[in-house]
Amino acid sequence: MPPAGGFETLRYKRNLPTRGPSAYAILAGVTASVLYGCYVVAKARIEQKELEREKAWSRIYLTPLLMAEADRDTYRRQQIANAREAAIMSKVPGWSVRSVQLLRRPTC
Amino acid sequence: MSGRTYVDNAPVPSDVPHVDEVGVTSAPLKSAAFFIGKFCQAYNDDFMQCKADARDPAACLKEGRRVTRCATELINKLRENCQQEWDKHWDCLEQRNQEFYRCRKAESALNACVLEKLGIKKEIPNSKIQVHTIAKPVFKDDTPKWDRP
Repeated sequence: MPPAGGFETLRYKRNLPTRGPSAYAILAGVTASVLYGCYVVAKARIEQKELEREKAWSRIYLTPLLMAEADRDTYRRQQIANAREAAIMSKVPGWSVRSVQLLRRPTC
Repeated sequence: MSGRTYVDNAPVPSDVPHVDEVGVTSAPLKSAAFFIGKFCQAYNDDFMQCKADARDPAACLKEGRRVTRCATELINKLRENCQQEWDKHWDCLEQRNQEFYRCRKAESALNACVLEKLGIKKEIPNSKIQVHTIAKPVFKDDTPKWDRP
């Protein structure tokens, strides 16, 4: 027989205290963090591209100067080589120095 | 060649007018590249057009001399007007693997000086954001303080 007034209520429910931020808060935090990361990466990629462009143009702007200097040197060396060849081969009848076309336009 | 370096010291043929080479190393040239490009644009374009028409080194000697003279003129102007800023910038480039983004501070000083004295503005073509003017760049000088020259 049950005791008078019934049994004591059984404490069967979970009794875990909720600690820390809620799940939605954590989700929001992670999402915000990831979005910020994506933003920085996107910004960095654009910037990287622009840095490459800057480097490329700094080289493009110097190309004529360097090319002109190299051309003068190549021309001088070719003239000297031709003169040397003419001197060496002066006793060979029928010899003529053919000026070599050093740089040709690529055909493909 | 019996192991010796072959040096050809013979002078330029006399039918070619003399022009002094710029005699500047890579870092100063890179530092001044955008100013050279702006200042000498007409001569550079002329030369490159000539080269596109004929690749023979002998074909474009005249245009090439003009290019070199123009660059020399600009370098002299830089030396007269912005020697200090220029020196600082190319010295920085030399120490930092010649990367522009690691020398923005020195560069902005140089750019301001050149814009004020010579009226040449650094502009990167086809670029909307002009990477050298970004206020807070992602890529900046990452040299630790103790390692800075």
